Amino acid sequence: MNCARKTNLIGQIRPAGALARRGAMTLALTLSTMALGALGMSAAHAAGTIAGTDILNTAQASYDGPSGPVVIDSNTVTITVDELLDVTVASSDPGDIASDSGATQQVTTYQVTNTGNGNEAFTLTADTAKGGDDFDTSNAVIYIDTNDNGVFDVGVDTLYSPGSNDPVLAPDSSVNIFILSDIPVSATDGQRAEVELSAEAVTGSGTPGTSFAGQGDGGGDAVVGSTGADGEASSFFLIQAAEVALIKSATVVDQFGGNEAVPGATITYQLVATVTGSGSLTNLNVTDDIPADTSYTAESITLEGAALTDSDADADAGSFDGSEIAVSLGTVAGGQTRTITFQVTID
Amino acid sequence: MKINILKRLAILAALAVPVMAPSMAMAANNVALSSDVFVERTVEKPDGKTAVMLEAPKTVIPGDNLVFVVKYKNVGSTPATDFSVTNPLPKAVAFNGTSDGTEIVSIDGGKNWGPLSALTYTRENGEVRPALMSDVTHIKWKFNRSLSVGSEGKLVFRGTVK
Repeated sequence: MNCARKTNLIGQIRPAGALARRGAMTLALTLSTMALGALGMSAAHAAGTIAGTDILNTAQASYDGPSGPVVIDSNTVTITVDELLDVTVASSDPGDIASDSGATQQVTTYQVTNTGNGNEAFTLTADTAKGGDDFDTSNAVIYIDTNDNGVFDVGVDTLYSPGSNDPVLAPDSSVNIFILSDIPVSATDGQRAEVELSAEAVTGSGTPGTSFAGQGDGGGDAVVGSTGADGEASSFFLIQAAEVALIKSATVVDQFGGNEAVPGATITYQLVATVTGSGSLTNLNVTDDIPADTSYTAESITLEGAALTDSDADADAGSFDGSEIAVSLGTVAGGQTRTITFQVTID
Repeated sequence: MKINILKRLAILAALAVPVMAPSMAMAANNVALSSDVFVERTVEKPDGKTAVMLEAPKTVIPGDNLVFVVKYKNVGSTPATDFSVTNPLPKAVAFNGTSDGTEIVSIDGGKNWGPLSALTYTRENGEVRPALMSDVTHIKWKFNRSLSVGSEGKLVFRGTVK
């Protein structure tokens, strides 16, 4: 039997199909290659295969021998996936953050993402002394967004202290970071300040490809990835200040058709509030005492030419309390004016 | 460049697996095979030029290019017919082509087979698109001839560490 088969195959003249039809020995080879996830995680990961994963490679052959199916294994090749050290930092602030001179604990927000494939701690650094801006903020402190809501919460989010609570990030995960700093009193309208957050892998950083033997997550080496294992991003403060100037003028009309300030004459006061600057003033109120020896003319307040009532209980912006008129202007942006008038008669 | 790599590969492969282990040539085992994995490393030469070298790595990092080599030899005394080699791809490796292009592949864990260009991938929403190399789960070479006594060969494919 063996001998006959051997004869057939040595000939090598007949096509394989013919040999198969004769029931000649068939053989199949299987090379089984598989990866074992050290952390039990899927290898299909945006950050790459998880550090410490073993790629096992074993060839397997199976065939029908004279006494039935036979399976043999080849040598096994084992390769461990090293940790790749990578990090990115992005500003979460959509644009310049409006602020005022002298404001304290102003917040800038960043997102630090571990783009490597192992669990890694990152050292955070705030830099408020960047060049190319108009002023520097001071007293910078870093907070970690403990409750992960993207908003700085006093008493909830954790103050960062380098080396003691460096955030440890799993592959592909992110953490929100806040920098709180103070705007100097000397900052003026329209000036900008850059505030930079940098993050650096604790294991090490530097030129991509730099290797730290045995220091990788999962027991292999740690290798600096394309980001250099450090990253930085900046947010900006923009001072948006506003000032208001109030100019008062008076027009006298006497009861005789003239302009003499005689008893019985009517004085119309005009108050022009002019707001300047790139910011706006909120809750702007204008009040004016009724001068001595005059009497307020009831219901005479106007704002931008429209009459206001004297009552403080209604919805409109004007009121008279017996001694002064008041007009609530609300929020007024820089570049706008508000004109108020009221009348008194000379006693 | 590819030829150079393959030449180096041949040398390295020969060094790494000098001879098929004699123990594999026992009477019951008619075919011996070995598996080797190499990684491409870019090496800077003294003259400043860079060269791609193949190394047998203990460790790799995501993005590394791997070269898988399967060597087979009929060390028995009888030929083998309907000879085929199948390679389930590691989950951590993305298929990047074979050296000879004669393979058929599976993108569904070995259920259906064909040339990559003949396969389609159905998305969860029912859309059908041509299969991509990144979809490949298994690679198979089918030989339409028997493997005679003493004959040997080598199958090479490339992959990238995910």
